[in-house]
Amino acid sequence: MPDLIAFVLLLAITAYSTAGGVDFGAGIWDLMAGNSPRGREARALIDHAMAPVWEVNNVWLVLAIVLTWTGFPILFQQVFSSLYPLFTFALLGLVLRGAFFAFRHVAEEPRAHRIADVVFGLSSLLTPFFFAASLGAIASGHLVPFSPMSVAFGLVSLAATAFSGASFLVGDARRYGAPELVVHFQRRTVVAAAALIAVGTFALGVIWWQAPDLLRSMLAGKGLPFALATMILTPLATFLIWRGIFRWYRVLTVAAVGSMVFAWAFAQSPYLVPGQLTISQAIAPPPTQVLLLVVAAVVVLVIGPAMGLLYYLDQRSALESPES
Amino acid sequence: MDVDVDALEPALLPSRIQMAFTLAYHVLLVPLGVALPSLTLLMEGIGIYRKDPVALKIARRWSVVMAVQFAVGAVTGTILSFEFGILWPRLMGRFGAAMGLGFAIEGWAFFLEAIFIGIYLYGWNRLRPRTHFLLGLVLPPAGLLGAFGVLASNSFMNTPGGVTLGANGQVTDVDVMGALFTRALGHEFWHFLVALYLTAGFMVASVYAVAWLRGRRDHYQRLAFAVPFTVAALLTPWQLLIGDLAARAMAEDQPQKFAAMEITWQTRDHNPEVVLGLIDDQGEIHLGLSIPALDSILVGYSPNTTVRGLSAFPADARPTTVEANITHLAFDTMVGLGSVGAALSVWYLWVIWRRRRLPDSSWFYRLAALAGVGAYVCVEAGWITTEVGRQPWIVYDTMRVSEAVTDAPASFVWSMLAALVVVYGVIAYFFITLLLRLSARWKREDLREEAPEVGVPYGPRSGKFETGA
Ligand code: HDD
Ligand code: HEM
Ligand code: HEM
Repeated sequence: MPDLIAFVLLLAITAYSTAGGVDFGAGIWDLMAGNSPRGREARALIDHAMAPVWEVNNVWLVLAIVLTWTGFPILFQQVFSSLYPLFTFALLGLVLRGAFFAFRHVAEEPRAHRIADVVFGLSSLLTPFFFAASLGAIASGHLVPFSPMSVAFGLVSLAATAFSGASFLVGDARRYGAPELVVHFQRRTVVAAAALIAVGTFALGVIWWQAPDLLRSMLAGKGLPFALATMILTPLATFLIWRGIFRWYRVLTVAAVGSMVFAWAFAQSPYLVPGQLTISQAIAPPPTQVLLLVVAAVVVLVIGPAMGLLYYLDQRSALESPES
Repeated sequence: MDVDVDALEPALLPSRIQMAFTLAYHVLLVPLGVALPSLTLLMEGIGIYRKDPVALKIARRWSVVMAVQFAVGAVTGTILSFEFGILWPRLMGRFGAAMGLGFAIEGWAFFLEAIFIGIYLYGWNRLRPRTHFLLGLVLPPAGLLGAFGVLASNSFMNTPGGVTLGANGQVTDVDVMGALFTRALGHEFWHFLVALYLTAGFMVASVYAVAWLRGRRDHYQRLAFAVPFTVAALLTPWQLLIGDLAARAMAEDQPQKFAAMEITWQTRDHNPEVVLGLIDDQGEIHLGLSIPALDSILVGYSPNTTVRGLSAFPADARPTTVEANITHLAFDTMVGLGSVGAALSVWYLWVIWRRRRLPDSSWFYRLAALAGVGAYVCVEAGWITTEVGRQPWIVYDTMRVSEAVTDAPASFVWSMLAALVVVYGVIAYFFITLLLRLSARWKREDLREEAPEVGVPYGPRSGKFETGA
């Protein structure tokens, strides 16, 4: 049962990394779009694509936090006692992002609008970097906020969010029938994928240097299937998008990024903090575990269909932004 | 006493201030978050049932407010959950397995709420009216469940239960039901729930009370005033009753807090009820109005009831004098404003019942216009009573605030607090500007559109995405 709960936690983290990643990635492209007419069109698309679903993603994060403190109280205490600076920066990004996303809908004056755009974009960089950095610090086994591992994880996360953001924006541009924007984001997907592969290779080097055991089980142990999956799926998804074969590319994007998270988690299992804390050492008493599994089941049974309904309605354009 | 603790735990003071600030902010968003969906659905239901386009228009406008404020609630709420780790890592490290249960429930309830608010808000145009309404019906129970989760956790902090502690104070076993349904939950849940609905009712109605005072008295404005105000007015008297039960439960379960609420120093019978007033370190009461024996009567229905005073507890296990005074004044504020609200409600219900129409006294609308803010003050005061009155405990009689606080340097927490104050200020500014703009735009729309179908929210509109928009 403890392993199952750890797995549920992993799923929540993965969901946040992928769904949230798409969202933050859109924010990154928003920042890069510049103020040219094409840039403004791209930004309008990003805005439109994000509006109905943007806060839902946040909930994955909350779920992950709640699962951690309820299911693995000691892990929560250790991680937060040492890594609080990383979380603080990630949070700062989160609030600024939320606030300025809302604000740019009301900013009428061009200058204010521009400022809102920039703050929104910059904060989209902060959050994925610092959350992933905390995973890196955990993976290193030392729980030191700023270390080569935490920086490497942060960079990978930035590249991965940019990649998944661009890939999904290709889909949104197609749905809204904006061919120039499709091309615009096709190119960006390829660039981001190249960056992701470069940074990913670099990160493997850092892991080799800092945590050789982790690298070993990533490339030769439990992490291997997922590491392989990432290495295959990322170029595959990119290829499809690049050649304009618009089938499966979004699923593959999510799978590529998700596998990356899985590769890390499975490589360090059964440790929550490598060399220091295992799943069975940190787990809460059995009745709490039962309740958490019930909650997980409810999420699957109730939230799953509800999410499905939201995306279904959204994709069928049954949901429209009220002009505000 | 306080000084020693501060020397040991440098970050204690900024952490407490930060927690109080962010919670006080977040809780302002909760009444509309939990209760506005119900009011909106009520209005939408009226609109569908009576085929009244005005009611539908009102409902649609409220749904926009609901969504905007849900977004702010989501952001500030996420911050809160991280603060438990950043500021009080040992609280969850020790009690997470029990205290976390409520939050686990809250987590998925908000999930559901976030999803359905999206559907509700963006579905006005394209969904069939009945479908739209039915999908909206998920919102009130989801909000309720969320409030339940948070309050279960808070009640655990006030009256911990359902846990077996090991030799080092670690939780070794948990009784899930016992930890969720602790003694304080009985009154906290109902009291808070009613508070949410009556606050939302008064707040929404107060906007239209202002419009009434400015001379707008058409069907739109009357309907938008009467529906929420009636809900609030029907609830307010019950709130006094539940509050009274809460206070009595307090005398039993959290006697230090009760002593602080009533600034009672000596344990005694015939204890007077002190209205306002302050206590000093010697237990002398200054200022204030003292009503003989009333406190004893309220607690045990008899002047002979013994009430425990602050001096009955060791100095390091009860609120300090300053904390007791804050608790007391907050409590008096809540009770005072609550009673005014109840009087206003009786006035309203009386007019409705006897004359079958809305009151037409300007004084009534002046008070109604203030009722919204008053209810929010009550909510804040109630939380201050609960939280400050529990000092120095973070989990009552079990874990001290100073034992839970982070090892982070005080300078770090102060900086984070400063950053949050700035960012929250910006959010508040945006939030209020946005609401004012919406209101101004709606007013413009109302002036322009007179043809019946124009005001009808249903029907296809060009919601097409346009590049360069
Ligand atoms: C509109 C809001 C409102 C109104 C009119 C009242 N309250 Fe209240 N009260 C709250 C809103 C509130 C609250 C903010 O919702 C609290 C904070 C914690 C809680 O559960 O509810 C609260 C807490 C609270 C507590 C502390 C509970 C605890 O620590 O566990 C007591 C003893 C009372 N109230 C008593 C009263 C009395 C005697 C009232 C009668 C006049 C009253 N309240 C009116
Ligand atoms: C589940 C709900 C809540 C939890 C778990 C919680 C937790 C805490 C914690 C950990 C502290 C810091 C320790 C302390 O100083 O007591 C605190 C203090 C405080 N909380 Fe709560 N709180 C909750 C609800 C609220 C709400 C909704 C408010 C709204 C106003 C609030 C107001 C305060 C205040 C004013 C303090 C400062 C007390 C002082 O420093 O003397 N709390 N609370
Ligand atoms: C009794 C006090 C509280 C109540 C009743 C309450 C209720 C709510 C409500 C209704 C929302 C949805 C947003 C909205 O509608 O405005 C919300 C958001 C949230 N609250 Fe609170 N809250 C309280 C205190 C807390 C505390 C102490 C925490 C800390 C863990 C917290 C965590 C959250 C989180 C994480 C969200 C965001 C959920 C989402 O993304 O949908 N809340 N809260």
